Amino acid sequence: MTTPNVPPPDVRPPRPRPSRPRRAVPLRYRVPWKKIVVYTLAAFLVLYLVLPFYWIFAMSFMREVDAISVPPNWIPPHPTLDNYLSFLRPDESQALVGGRAIRETPFALGNSMIVASATALLNLVLAVPAAYSFSRLRFTGGRLLLIGYLITRMVPSIAIIIPFYLMIRSMGLLDTYWALILSYLTFSLPVTIWVLKDFFRAVPRELEDAARVDRCGWFRTMWSVFLPVAAPGLVAAAVFSFMTAWSEFMFALFMTSTEAAKTIPVVAANFATDMNTQFTLMAAAGVVAVVPPLILVLIFQRLIVQGMAAGSVKG
Amino acid sequence: MNGPALIVLFSLVAYPIGYSFWVSLHQQNLKRPDDTRFIGLENYFALWRDPTFLSSLRTTGLFVVLVVSMTVVLAMILALVLNESFLGRGVLRSLALLPWAMPGVVNGLMWRTIFDANTGALNGLLTDLGLIDSYQAWLSSPSGAFFLTAFAQVWNTLPFAVILLLAGLSTIPSDLYDAAKVDRAGVFQRFRQITLPWLLHPLLIVLILETMNAFRAFDTIYVLTGGGPGDATSIIAVLNVRTALTYTDFGLGSAYSWVITAFTLIISVGYVAALYRKGSFEV
Repeated sequence: MTTPNVPPPDVRPPRPRPSRPRRAVPLRYRVPWKKIVVYTLAAFLVLYLVLPFYWIFAMSFMREVDAISVPPNWIPPHPTLDNYLSFLRPDESQALVGGRAIRETPFALGNSMIVASATALLNLVLAVPAAYSFSRLRFTGGRLLLIGYLITRMVPSIAIIIPFYLMIRSMGLLDTYWALILSYLTFSLPVTIWVLKDFFRAVPRELEDAARVDRCGWFRTMWSVFLPVAAPGLVAAAVFSFMTAWSEFMFALFMTSTEAAKTIPVVAANFATDMNTQFTLMAAAGVVAVVPPLILVLIFQRLIVQGMAAGSVKG
Repeated sequence: MNGPALIVLFSLVAYPIGYSFWVSLHQQNLKRPDDTRFIGLENYFALWRDPTFLSSLRTTGLFVVLVVSMTVVLAMILALVLNESFLGRGVLRSLALLPWAMPGVVNGLMWRTIFDANTGALNGLLTDLGLIDSYQAWLSSPSGAFFLTAFAQVWNTLPFAVILLLAGLSTIPSDLYDAAKVDRAGVFQRFRQITLPWLLHPLLIVLILETMNAFRAFDTIYVLTGGGPGDATSIIAVLNVRTALTYTDFGLGSAYSWVITAFTLIISVGYVAALYRKGSFEV
């Protein structure tokens, strides 16, 4: 007699056994292929990512003679801070060969800082309410509006640069921070709204309902319940708009003309187009232009990936 | 609640967009200010008869395909490696974002010192490794300039793709892989049947954003080759800037911009349609 618990054999045919016989010695040493592959790839990727930057980094600490030697010096033979110091007080020969770009670098750094931070901040202020409305309310024309935002992003900046220039000039804002902040808003605001909208949708509604039960007003609910939960998305969005503003070149080139508002990419381009510029000074300027956004990215690295994961990746 | 954003965007963008389209329908060149007149679509027709434009279209196409495919492959490898746990993962994660911090102009500057014919690191490295006998002028040959420009562009735009893919990878539930392992699925099978389908959405976003970026690539090329030698790296965006701002031909320049816009729109619509059919897109 068979027990009723055993299923009939035709319902669940046994898996065909792998033809390979089982290994006799289970504790045999196995080559950790996966580890080897991962570490090899990781090593290559580190080289790929770091070597180019290392080259200008090392160069920025060299004397000009050492930087242009053949074969190249991979490590500064006579390390010096002169290149960086010359941004603060260029000596006579430097003033002669690339004086303007050198003198403008510290100003440009400050300008870039101010413009990029203001752009990031204004982006959040304007995008949070808009994104919130898309994530929580259904209203007529909502979809159309959302797509409309995206379409403004499709127009390349070169298309609008001339009319934008005329507009800014008529407002008397040429060569000011506002010229840049306003132009950067045009292309970062739509993206910020899209990123935040997706992120906000991932925040559970129950949180707000609970706050409302506790008699919190709308602003209190937003400020002390909703926004803290949405913080990674806010940080990710702010970093994205900061980076866009920090790197932008064309608008900065045409809207600014003096050290009052010139940003770091504009000055860096001056180094490149000036044939007399020393390699080492150019390298130092490059390093200086990368460090502030790099610090920002490193601090918020985790939040950026987290923000993207919760946000736009899911659509 | 859309009020503030709408007002700001509309007042800043609507007029320039409308104006630039209006200008694209005119003959308008700063060098001949008296000869400004409405010519309808003539600028657009002129583009299609212009051999410079047609050759730049081919260059742009190749450039976009090369940059996007290299970016996607490299970003995928990098994201997959970063998704494994190994010693030093945190460091590599941070390093992966390094190129992102580099403005395009600075990126061009950096690669120019590396590719330099007399003192460049690339020449030095290849000589040290015994791969070449004498220093090469990499950027002087059309094909060399083209490939190296694409290479420099990929380095710069890689991190953004990595962030998106990594974020996508982190949403895949790990028990899917456990189940696949129980079923004795190999590495490649697991990649094809679990990872890839889950990554479809971020992958499409990467594709479209990188395509858009490559179409508009200007900063890096401007500093690295300026569009040369000859017109080897004159992709459409470079030509656009040259026409509008160097030759001050606003009419034709605006037409260029709208051609780029049209391409971007077509690609985006294709992307949204693809997602929409899969049912994974909602606005």
